[in-house]
Amino acid sequence: MSFKKFGPNDVILNTMEAHPSCEFFIFDSKIYYNNTPERSGAFSSNVLNVPPGYISLYEYNVDKLDGSNNFIYPFTRKGGDRVTFKNISTKEFDYLYGMGDIITSSYPMSASITREFMSGAAGGMTPYTVPRPDEIGGTVTFSAPKYRHFYALKNRLNYYGVKSEHYKVSSSYGDKSLQPINLISIPSIFYGSQIKPGTLSLKWYFTGSLIGELQDTKQNGELIEVSGSNAGAIAGVALYDEGFILLTGSWSLNSETIRLISGSTATVTPQWLYFGAGANDNVSQATVGNTTFASASFDLSFKGATKTQVMTMFAHAHRGEANYSSNPTFLNYGQEQLYLTSSQVYEENSSRTIANTVSSSYTDYSASFQRQVYISRVAIYDESKNLIGIATLSDPVLKKEDEDLAFKIRLDL
Amino acid sequence: MAVVNYEPLGTADVTTTKTLLHESIPLTGTILSGTYGTLLSGDNIKNYTHGMFQSVYDYPYLSSSANHIFDLTVGFNASSPLSGTSGVTMESKKINMYNQFSQVLLGFTGSGNTIRDFELDTTLDQTGSMKESLFINFSRLLYKDEIKKGTVSLVLGTGSWADPFALTKTLSDASASATAGTANTMGGDYGVLYSAADDTARGVVFYQAGLIVLSTSSWDSIPLFNSGSDYGYTITDSLVSASISGSCDALRHRIKNISFNNTTEINSTIYFCRIPSNKYNYSSNPTYISSSQIVVKNVASDTPVSYVTTIGLYNGNNQLLATAKLSEPLRKDPNNEITLRVRLDY
Repeated sequence: MSFKKFGPNDVILNTMEAHPSCEFFIFDSKIYYNNTPERSGAFSSNVLNVPPGYISLYEYNVDKLDGSNNFIYPFTRKGGDRVTFKNISTKEFDYLYGMGDIITSSYPMSASITREFMSGAAGGMTPYTVPRPDEIGGTVTFSAPKYRHFYALKNRLNYYGVKSEHYKVSSSYGDKSLQPINLISIPSIFYGSQIKPGTLSLKWYFTGSLIGELQDTKQNGELIEVSGSNAGAIAGVALYDEGFILLTGSWSLNSETIRLISGSTATVTPQWLYFGAGANDNVSQATVGNTTFASASFDLSFKGATKTQVMTMFAHAHRGEANYSSNPTFLNYGQEQLYLTSSQVYEENSSRTIANTVSSSYTDYSASFQRQVYISRVAIYDESKNLIGIATLSDPVLKKEDEDLAFKIRLDL
Repeated sequence: MAVVNYEPLGTADVTTTKTLLHESIPLTGTILSGTYGTLLSGDNIKNYTHGMFQSVYDYPYLSSSANHIFDLTVGFNASSPLSGTSGVTMESKKINMYNQFSQVLLGFTGSGNTIRDFELDTTLDQTGSMKESLFINFSRLLYKDEIKKGTVSLVLGTGSWADPFALTKTLSDASASATAGTANTMGGDYGVLYSAADDTARGVVFYQAGLIVLSTSSWDSIPLFNSGSDYGYTITDSLVSASISGSCDALRHRIKNISFNNTTEINSTIYFCRIPSNKYNYSSNPTYISSSQIVVKNVASDTPVSYVTTIGLYNGNNQLLATAKLSEPLRKDPNNEITLRVRLDY
């Protein structure tokens, strides 16, 4: 077997950008991801063992039931390398486990969108008291943010203020700290490196009829109402890189009333503040105490952006090259391999004939012999001639002696 | 991120490590036979027109949720008494399957380069041969880098055809461990599967190849290893007269449980980034200074202080290759020295 070296123009590195579509439909406290229905299996009511609207990492434990046909779970041993699972804190690792102890985790690991409704003022503080040391006595009162996620995002919102004033926590459009906010969090597993600007669409349906739609038509993060009672108004902003949508639009999309606040029987008109109610936010028919909650449904769609480094290699089989095979069937069957062998001489049979694989148009008639091979795979070697990869063709390719061929091999890095 | 100066990493600052992550893989027999269809067939069982093996999935295989869990096949050596028997169904394929596994896992032996037999011991001396075998070939998805030694357990039904699990044999490789009880061949390490009840070897498990080879001896005394409306075979009859998939069906019917732990090797490089006392006490972050004063200092005579949030790893040309983030900023002043351990997993 001979080797052929890649030339300077035969190996190309580039980046492939893809835009996976994502659609979440939220109805009656359930989320449907890309229109995937809930499927029940022989053992589990949901074959992936995660609720609809969730992605199951690895998709292990398909149609399994804990205790009946047990789940696959990962484990490792505590050692000096301090390797453990992410859900084990440093404190737990140090004190809960001894050296050599088994540390377990569990599958399935899952992710989905979450909605957090920050009622009243999103920047509100909650006081809490802690006792002073015994020698001093009494208590001391501190205050903590009522909605920590809003506090965590404040810096980022102000950072994007250069793109639009609507991002800023405090601007001429109001102070977000004093407003209620509807925060929708999208894990990055759904979109990759960012949500593609200009692809966001949020649709509010009431009893199945579209009553309002938001789009980021300016591609600057502003969510503009493109249809509804207040078309052209900006109802919120999107953080493309971080996967958050903040909605503050509090105008009525129609005059109907509905219960959409968890733990409250208060009725409200459909507003962007209540978009996505039921998306892992504890809003359900039970928590609002009314079945009319099912009149509301929501659609959130966007495209993600993923970047994959791709190596493209061109393997050339020029005319006069790669026209012999070491496959035993390349030669006619039944020929002596050795011509002469003794303690002094080892001579192979030099007159062995190659099998004629040229296709004939006629039955019982052999076409004229031509030297040709069928190439079925291309092997890639490193500088030290170590085999590092094999590209297998879906069908063997006929290579005639007077033909040039180039195989394009793509490797996602 | 602006960098004022660089700290070169010496040979004592870089080390490599290997961590083993395991998963416990329980496979219950219910999904192998009868759950997704009628007995012996099922939507999670895939047979091929070539008939040389059978694939088992954990869910109907036409579903995108299905995972391939293992392939089953049977075979015998050309020197087996079954070879050359009159009326052997798919004889050449059964011999080829045995030969293929044997060549890949055990290689050849003797001056004639003959194919080795699978053996029920770790001596590789061609005694205790398994000339007729049943193969369970696990998917890489399940066994990952290798099966963990000493963790394999199979419960096989040895009861009647109608009630196969009325009697069972539990096979395990309890005698194998990371340091002993295995043999090394060109297909990797293998250990012997012993029946716990009678301490008899009934098969072998190849750890790196993710393959279990069972001898027929577990079912030698059973009159109906394989049965249908118009046939009833002993294990030997099944290997002779039944197709490969027919014998695989019978094997699935008699697997109650399989469990093992898999292993994933995580290779890491650890960089010990040492921050001396007199360095990195200042930051070039724009927020470090406000109105020409260092924000984190109240009195001009205080020692300088900074908070380390990120470590950049650079190559010899000072090109940034990677950054490591701390879970929380670390206070750094001239009174302390910090060694940060950065782990890079491959």
